[in-house]
Amino acid sequence: MQGDVSDLSRYDHHAARIAAWRNRSRRVRYVCYFLITALIVWSVEEIVVADTDWSRISWESMLRSAQQFMSVDLSIFRSLMGPALETALMATLGTLVGLVLAVPVAWLGAMNISPLGRTTYVIGRGLMTLSRSVHEVVWGLIFVAAVGLGALAGVLAMGIRSIGFISKTVAEAIEDVSPGPVEAMRAVGASRFQILLFGILPQVIPVFIGNVIFEWDVNIRRSTIMGLVGAGGLGLALHRQMASYNYGGVATVLLVILLLIIAGEILSYYARKAVI
Amino acid sequence: MSTPVASAAKPLPEWSRFRFPQSLYKYAAALATLFFLWWSLGTLRIDIERLPGILGRMFEILSDRYWPPDVNHVLGSGYIAAVVDTFKMSYVATVVGLLIAIPLAWFGSFNMTPSRRFLYPAARLIVMSCRSVHEMIWTILLVAIVGFGMLPGTLAMTLFCIGFSGKLLAEAIEAIRKGPVEAVRASGANQFQVFLFAVLPQVRVAWTGIAIYTWDVVFRAATVVGFFGAGGMGHYLRESVQRVESQEVAAIVLSIILIVFIAELVSAWIRARIAKAVA
Repeated sequence: MQGDVSDLSRYDHHAARIAAWRNRSRRVRYVCYFLITALIVWSVEEIVVADTDWSRISWESMLRSAQQFMSVDLSIFRSLMGPALETALMATLGTLVGLVLAVPVAWLGAMNISPLGRTTYVIGRGLMTLSRSVHEVVWGLIFVAAVGLGALAGVLAMGIRSIGFISKTVAEAIEDVSPGPVEAMRAVGASRFQILLFGILPQVIPVFIGNVIFEWDVNIRRSTIMGLVGAGGLGLALHRQMASYNYGGVATVLLVILLLIIAGEILSYYARKAVI
Repeated sequence: MSTPVASAAKPLPEWSRFRFPQSLYKYAAALATLFFLWWSLGTLRIDIERLPGILGRMFEILSDRYWPPDVNHVLGSGYIAAVVDTFKMSYVATVVGLLIAIPLAWFGSFNMTPSRRFLYPAARLIVMSCRSVHEMIWTILLVAIVGFGMLPGTLAMTLFCIGFSGKLLAEAIEAIRKGPVEAVRASGANQFQVFLFAVLPQVRVAWTGIAIYTWDVVFRAATVVGFFGAGGMGHYLRESVQRVESQEVAAIVLSIILIVFIAELVSAWIRARIAKAVA
């Protein structure tokens, strides 16, 4: 487009194209807005109007139910220490299982080191998506079905659920490693495994550990509900209090859960700070 | 300058893989980890002797009782309607949650908040408390307060959405360039106008991506809120689990995995398209 300024038709042509594109994008945007609004109306109609029995719900009834939670039953506080410890241990072991399983998945799912190239890369990415896209409650149900009630099911469920996040971030870190050390090692005749161990691993270790600590923090949150599907810990205590309609007890369990989560968050904050 | 000479005169110490104190620390750490494992397995009452054959037994149980999945159960019209309900719940919760999370993100971003002393900690506290409680616990609480149905599920998902997206949206604001903000501010704009004309245009693309990703995560959670008394597919899951209809459970779990997988692929595709259309 240099020089020939007198050739105005060319510019007109461009201007018309830009205007057409703008019109089209505006039309697309309006259609999007319309769809979003229509979907909202349709869904709200179902959720708030059709599916909710408003004659049964009133502000008083809701307030009354909410008030039941206010009378915290501190007498069971002491008996919750065991389940709280169990929950924390479940989260820790689950994270360890996830950590161990995430290493091979990250190895498959990192484009630059995937052993058989494209095929294993797709398998690795698929495993990551599968692990992440299934909710922990579903994983919990699957493992309770497979290994029976108890903490083991929770540990395995959280381990499998953790693979996705850890291996995805580590695989991305592996794809971004600086090529210098890798080339240097290749130049002195290192094998693939040696390059992996001494050229790539030292570069991704900080990311790996940081994300494992982050995932541990998230797993504490997850392990508090594992008991609801049959894998011990505080979730089981919550379920029991709920089943006996002891709302004060439910409030106490929730309080312990909150304390545990805050403790986990503080601990992971300082641990991450120490590592990175 | 005499140091190199001195060190050269000294005989080099013989190299060994592990030196005295470091190697001791290493072994101590390994030992402590093993002890921790043993102790925690004991505390959790997990039988160590049963662990080796676990994969085989798992496979056996799953293939004995859960295979073949009862596909007809998930193809019934009731279940399909539940899938649509799940979609609606996740959709409303995402939109409402985002509408609440956007001002919270504005207030809770350290660089753009209108008041660092009051609004910033308040917004952070709200987002943090929505985040720190697991969405299933919100569901249980709201089912106890509002009753069974889709409404408590939607409300619980909304809270979850606020916690999840509020943090990401605020982080996007914290990453903006300062130039446009200063330019708009220099022309005499107030706080809200600065947000509208300097912040929003910069984070629009990132926020669209975050919104779609949030929907994806909310939908995943919405598939199971029914398990705790809210509506949707999870309700069917609970019924089948309670009746110990293993093959129905298998079919429902597989259908959840499949649907969430598709939702994730669709969301990833849309996000990629948006990123491409902008770039």
